[in-house]
Amino acid sequence: MEKRSPSSSSPKHNPLNQLRNFIPISPEIAAPARAATSGDGSISQSVASLPFARPNPSAASLFASTLTPPGSRSMSPIGRGSPSRVIASSIFRNPIDSPSSTQPPPDSPAHILTGAFIPHIAVYASNDTDRLAADKGFPSGLWELLRPFGERIHGKVTIRDSNGISRSLDDFAVRFFRLGHHIEPPDPTPGVPTKPSSTLNGNVGQSAPGSSPARKAPWSKTVVHDAEAVIERHLTYAEQAAAGLGHLNSLVPQGPEQGTTSPYYSLYLRRLLSGIAASPHETFSHPVACIIVISSRNPDPIVTLRSLYAESSKGEAQLPPWIEQEYLRYYVLVHDEERDNIARSMSLYDQMKRHFGLHCHLLRLRGSQGAETDDDSIPLPRSDWMTASEELALLKRTDGGEDFEDPVRYIFESDATAIRTFTREMVTQSIIPTMERSVSVWNDQVASRRRGLGGRILNLSRRWGGFGGGASRSSMIGSSSSTSNYDQAGGFYKPEAAEATMRRLADYAFMLRDWKLAYSTYDLLRSDYSTDKAWKFHAAANEMAAISILMNPQSITSKTRTETVDQLLEAAFYSYQTRCMATYGAIRTVLLGMELLRLRGGSSIDDAVRWGVRLLEGKLMGPTGEVLLKERLSVCYGGKQGLTSQFIAGRRRKSALWSILAAESWLDQEKFLQAQRCLNDARKTYSLLPNESGISKFVAASDFLAGLQQRTKEGLARPKGDSFYERNDGVETDGSRDCVDDQEEDDGGSETESEEVEALQGQELELPHRSRRISLMGHSGAPAASLETAPLRGRKGGTQSDANNGTREPPASSIGNNFG
Amino acid sequence: MSYHFIILGTQDNPLFSYVLGTSKQGGDGQARFPPSAAHLNQFVLHSSLDIAEEVQWGTGHLYLKCIDKFFNNYISCFVTGSNTKFMLLHQPTQQGPGVTTRSSAAIGANPTSPQTEEAIRAFFQEVYESWVKTVMSPFYGLNKEIRSPVFRQKVAAAGRKYL
Repeated sequence: MEKRSPSSSSPKHNPLNQLRNFIPISPEIAAPARAATSGDGSISQSVASLPFARPNPSAASLFASTLTPPGSRSMSPIGRGSPSRVIASSIFRNPIDSPSSTQPPPDSPAHILTGAFIPHIAVYASNDTDRLAADKGFPSGLWELLRPFGERIHGKVTIRDSNGISRSLDDFAVRFFRLGHHIEPPDPTPGVPTKPSSTLNGNVGQSAPGSSPARKAPWSKTVVHDAEAVIERHLTYAEQAAAGLGHLNSLVPQGPEQGTTSPYYSLYLRRLLSGIAASPHETFSHPVACIIVISSRNPDPIVTLRSLYAESSKGEAQLPPWIEQEYLRYYVLVHDEERDNIARSMSLYDQMKRHFGLHCHLLRLRGSQGAETDDDSIPLPRSDWMTASEELALLKRTDGGEDFEDPVRYIFESDATAIRTFTREMVTQSIIPTMERSVSVWNDQVASRRRGLGGRILNLSRRWGGFGGGASRSSMIGSSSSTSNYDQAGGFYKPEAAEATMRRLADYAFMLRDWKLAYSTYDLLRSDYSTDKAWKFHAAANEMAAISILMNPQSITSKTRTETVDQLLEAAFYSYQTRCMATYGAIRTVLLGMELLRLRGGSSIDDAVRWGVRLLEGKLMGPTGEVLLKERLSVCYGGKQGLTSQFIAGRRRKSALWSILAAESWLDQEKFLQAQRCLNDARKTYSLLPNESGISKFVAASDFLAGLQQRTKEGLARPKGDSFYERNDGVETDGSRDCVDDQEEDDGGSETESEEVEALQGQELELPHRSRRISLMGHSGAPAASLETAPLRGRKGGTQSDANNGTREPPASSIGNNFG
Repeated sequence: MSYHFIILGTQDNPLFSYVLGTSKQGGDGQARFPPSAAHLNQFVLHSSLDIAEEVQWGTGHLYLKCIDKFFNNYISCFVTGSNTKFMLLHQPTQQGPGVTTRSSAAIGANPTSPQTEEAIRAFFQEVYESWVKTVMSPFYGLNKEIRSPVFRQKVAAAGRKYL
């Protein structure tokens, strides 16, 4: 079996050698095997001559997120972990405190949820900056370099909620994206003349030259399909890799411990939630701030900054009219350490600070591309939150075969430190204070007026134009649209409307994790939207209201759950699915609601499963998504604890049933590894039943189960190359071969197998020594952790008294004044 | 409406199984399960034991009413004194093109309606009486399969009468 691993070409990676390191192989067994290796030439030759198609080994890093399921490799003696995780942890975490971190595992659905709805920061860079980024190996611009660093802001981030209570978050994140990308135009209400929408689309098309989202299919229509295609590829890769490695049973990921998440499911959820397009009905993807970037190569920096600002607010990069234009502008000067003079950049930076106030940063980068062989270069991790279509494109490139180019890029350690400091400073000193201030201002000026009885009456009278005229006006067609702020034809609210402001308030509160404020605001909005018949807005508000209730760590009674959460989810699901045909929204609502209900435990689990079944009944997802959901339902039920030792009120039989259903569907899609895993789960669950007989007394059912097992076995056995055995028989005798096999099986074959998988993945990155070096160098990033967290209030009073409010959200006039 | 009636012993073991269709509203008493139901019904009924075991401690009645739903399958349960469970899986006919509103007034139209509940209660009650008589046989032991043809006939008759 060691011959079959598609391992490296160099002899030092020979799995047999590794095997020998931790499995005592007696000489008489090892000797023929060694003879086999030497007599047969290198491993890679024998591998290349195998009759079946083999995945490109260098593509393994792309699939690392699912090929090594979390936790299952912890037994491996060297403890190497998958390459991507080692890198990610060393780049983002302080190596000292990382082992004892108490936050949830990065793949848990709750973690994915908080990582999905985060502030979005647009990047708008000058041409010279783009050239600098291209020189560094990022052809699509600086945002690509910044993005992985936004996914985990270094150190703790302190946020004040609406009551003035501060909380520190460990895992705050922001998302960088290109200004004008990921925009989804609203779908106008059918039946209403769509005169204004043509101008709207024109705007959108202009705003994003090159990508033209107006012509492409809208993001929300394709993302479900794309996400499933990504998973499909990951699964196919796993099957192929397993076929190459042989010893299939030991490769089957061991059944997850209760409550763990399948890597495929978490990847699916992540891809569904990545890159949510900016659309009118929710403002999570609207820019909270825009970074305007120039580089030190620019001959005329201040003028460029001004023109970039003008373009982003009025010019060709202007966002569509339903996005608030008055977001924070943050000015960044990228200094090229290798080509330009630092003194000149410093003076330019001082000049920028004089002109634009505090929201400036000098980012010192080296202008050239880091190479793998450089001593001080580290690999930049791939973004965890790349969109489904992006990953799909990346995976499709691997099909090209030979000319596949390794997507891992290398940057210098000093660059990483600089960017880390930059993101931290920007988030803690500019983004979060701005958001906090916006929340409190909007809460005082808009939302609090609407709370309470008086606000409701005021709102009624505003809508109906007084009690006298109400009756006659309501009989007129379209009277409601004449008094409401909802633009029925375009399908959006204007950003200055109270409803839009409140929605932004709620979303900001949600992003700052002030669940209570978010919920109360969403709750206000729900009724407004339904009065205006803005169904997509209504659905989104219901969805987020339900999620913010469930995110609130307070316990909820089963009465609140049925009366509030279920109602909200129901309204959201119905509005998304039936009224708006927004499949994506419906899927997202149910999946998130289900996950959060599941975490509540107890009878909420039954509720969670009920929602999952609703989604299955609706047939909204593709085949892969449905199987993943079935598997998930099994995990949901499996997590329900019995009340007593008799497992009364447990859900083991249900859990097993869903495992079997999932296995059947996996088999239909010829994903035998997954089917095997599900069947193992089912068998394990049945064996835990008090009477231990499981389903065996039911004739038809147990026959069916046996049939499934048979099919799985056949499927797993099929891709094995028969010719391989014949080739080997000439070199080693049957007896010694059996001995080797027995030895491995006795001594934990799965460990050696997993070791090989890791060797396969680790080879491109040469992890063993590199990872240690990275973690040592990670200390240099430590000072960033000790940055002052809340210097803002001090700074606000002193240095910049004149530009106190103006610079935080600089309107065009204040900038003009500064220039004048 | 198609029915799958099953009696389960205390070890999750099926003691008796009978498949029938509705006889009300001109039904011919034939079950119309899809072909996959042969095993799927057993899985579903078995998994509903989880719910039954939870519900049976929360009520003083033997008849637990409709306790579970799996897609279009509804499961009603009746617990006897010896913890042997009667379970009835009922599946309303899918509204195909040929089926008009014929069955809208039938018991099967709404599986959770009070009428359906009452009909199933009566069915269970009648089966319970025959079951008690059958298991009083000196040759019958706990958790043994019921092979009596008389009992089977009685169940069929009860099904025709009430379902």
